[in-house]
Amino acid sequence: MSELPPVTLSASDIHKSFGAMEVLKGISLQAHQGDVISILGASGSGKSTLLRCINLLETPDSGVVSVGGETIEMKRHARGHQLAANPRQIERLRSRLGMVFQSFNLWSHLTVLQNVIEGPHYVLKRDKKACIAQAEQLLDRVGLLNRKDFYPAQLSGGQQQRVAIARALAMDPEVMLFDEPTSALDPELVGEVLKVMRSLAEEGRTMLVVTHEMGFARNVSNRVVFMHQGTIDCQGTPEAMFGDAGSARFKQFISSHHQVEPVV
Amino acid sequence: MIDFAFLSDTFLKLSAALPVTLGLFISAFLCGGVLAVGILALSAFARGYILVFRGSPLMIQLFLIYYGLGQFGVIRHSVFWPFLREPFTCAVLALSLCTAAYTAEILRGALLAVPPGQVEAGMACGMSRGLLLRRIIAPVMLRYALPAYSTEAILLVKSTALASLVTVWDVTGVAQQIIQRTYRTMEVFLCAAAIYLILNFIIVQLYALLERRLTPVHKAEKKPSPAAKRLSPEENKHV
Amino acid sequence: MISLLSFGPDGWGRLILSATLTTLLLSFSALLVGAVVGSGVAAAKLSSHRAVRWLGESYSVIFRGIPELLVIYLFYFGGSGLITQIGQLFGADGFIEAPPFLIGALAIGLISGSYQAEVYRAARLALAKGEIEAAVAIGMPRWRIRQRILLPQVARYALPGLSNVWQMSLKDSALVSVTGIVELMRASQIAAGSTRDYFSFYLVGGACYLLLTLLSNRAFLRAESRLGRAWQSRTAAQH
Repeated sequence: MSELPPVTLSASDIHKSFGAMEVLKGISLQAHQGDVISILGASGSGKSTLLRCINLLETPDSGVVSVGGETIEMKRHARGHQLAANPRQIERLRSRLGMVFQSFNLWSHLTVLQNVIEGPHYVLKRDKKACIAQAEQLLDRVGLLNRKDFYPAQLSGGQQQRVAIARALAMDPEVMLFDEPTSALDPELVGEVLKVMRSLAEEGRTMLVVTHEMGFARNVSNRVVFMHQGTIDCQGTPEAMFGDAGSARFKQFISSHHQVEPVV
Repeated sequence: MIDFAFLSDTFLKLSAALPVTLGLFISAFLCGGVLAVGILALSAFARGYILVFRGSPLMIQLFLIYYGLGQFGVIRHSVFWPFLREPFTCAVLALSLCTAAYTAEILRGALLAVPPGQVEAGMACGMSRGLLLRRIIAPVMLRYALPAYSTEAILLVKSTALASLVTVWDVTGVAQQIIQRTYRTMEVFLCAAAIYLILNFIIVQLYALLERRLTPVHKAEKKPSPAAKRLSPEENKHV
Repeated sequence: MISLLSFGPDGWGRLILSATLTTLLLSFSALLVGAVVGSGVAAAKLSSHRAVRWLGESYSVIFRGIPELLVIYLFYFGGSGLITQIGQLFGADGFIEAPPFLIGALAIGLISGSYQAEVYRAARLALAKGEIEAAVAIGMPRWRIRQRILLPQVARYALPGLSNVWQMSLKDSALVSVTGIVELMRASQIAAGSTRDYFSFYLVGGACYLLLTLLSNRAFLRAESRLGRAWQSRTAAQH
């Protein structure tokens, strides 16, 4: 059996509650280099929360997250839950993760090009010319080089999301996190984004994708994780999951989500 | 019928007082702006401050500072006394404190309007708090605050007229003096009103210019984006 | 300090209290004047004739752009001058003063009117066109539509804005003190000057204004919730 690639991301026993409601009930997940993991589940299953706990946009109440072998230091709060202990570390680790949001979240006062160079230039402190060169390369890759001087408001949803992907790529992330990247898009625009994501996967990028796109989960990812009410109900390769290995609940989930999917 | 000689003479006299009015305005505008940011940062104290300074007339705040502070020996013998003794400084102080309250309220509203998603995107890139504030929050906030801020600027111009009540010889003070000497109220009023209206017009134009420069609109021609100069130091100084 | 405010022959409490009443009356009168003027200006601004709209806009620009103090000077000194001249025509001697209360209420009222015009205009525009069309469709006469549909809704939408305008008039009334009328500001001035205790009395005056502002806010909020109750109960029933 060949050696598994190194673990680039690991989340152990993550618990998270919002007020009285426990959203994550002890989730553990590991991503190896080159993994493309699709996280599926109904609304409220906690999948977005899990993703956001990984780059600490939400702070897990308990549990450990490590990125590239480095564990995020936490400290205990007086009331029992935990807080990030070292803001510098968080910032550093976040700069090694790229996140693509459901609502794109491009910076509205900056052009497309400026959006993409913002991170590398101001956070990674790289030379501006080098950043611009890289940005143009990435924008070309996602097919939007000719829009580099446009502002986000002048682009369609699909275009904005592709810029957002370029922006995340510009940071040279070890792992890319996608939080329902196509959920806010009109159906005809979903395909262009999935195409870019597929090319990233084929490149060997490590990706964690929370999604409703069954086609992507089935054809592009190498692992499918199905979450239900804050726990992992079942997980496995797409062949297994979409074949016979999936649980009854998963089968029900797929059938209720049957839709005409863009060919990925 | 219309006494042009008197009108032009009055206009000249009033214009001579314009630097005083402008001095009051610009000083209070800048100080008030800085103060407002400070107030916003001290959020616990902010609500009370805003309440007090927006809930009472500027006139009484002004009189409190000009007449009231001089009562205390501790102030009269302090290093600040040479400044606090001057009517102009007292007026600027009162105007600054008052406009800071209104500006803080405007900034607070603008802060709430910043789309949280864009802030999260910044955090997800690993931006520190300082960087987030400087590169994302402040620019977006300023754009939202601009319209209300221009209204506040005009209110400030009008408020400078109150300085005349504590012997500052601004446009209104000089106008009042001329009225009391000549009793030609209508003409003097018209001149003074015209000056203030022109001042307001200029301010409105300046704000419109600023708004145009800061509003993201792609220009059709392919020149190196003027946006590349975005948020350059000049623009940040204007607001 | 407390003795200064007492109601006895030595205390200033009585003066302050009666002056506060004057302030309230003055502000309220101004609000009424402003309501009449404001409705007219709002109607003008909503008119289909360009010339009429222009008149409305000009009124707004003028009365929102000129310092309140100047307007008061115009009405007081100008008014007095006018009355004196008319008096002289009838053989009267010397300077006749224009009644300060009326002049003050008029001046503040006209200014308030320009702001109220904005409030009414926005409130009118907020009214859904459909509600009026529905009334027209069932054959309701114009005057009834105005009475049963338009006015109640405009009142409801205008209330928050009116709360602000009322606060403004309260504070602007302090400026009328330059005419000599004994309202709260002038009373504070008199007491302060007489006792040389400027700080205390201006503080007390300011506190009184603050009290008036806070109580007014509360009253308006209650009125808003009362008027909005019809809508609230509907949505509550839906849940």
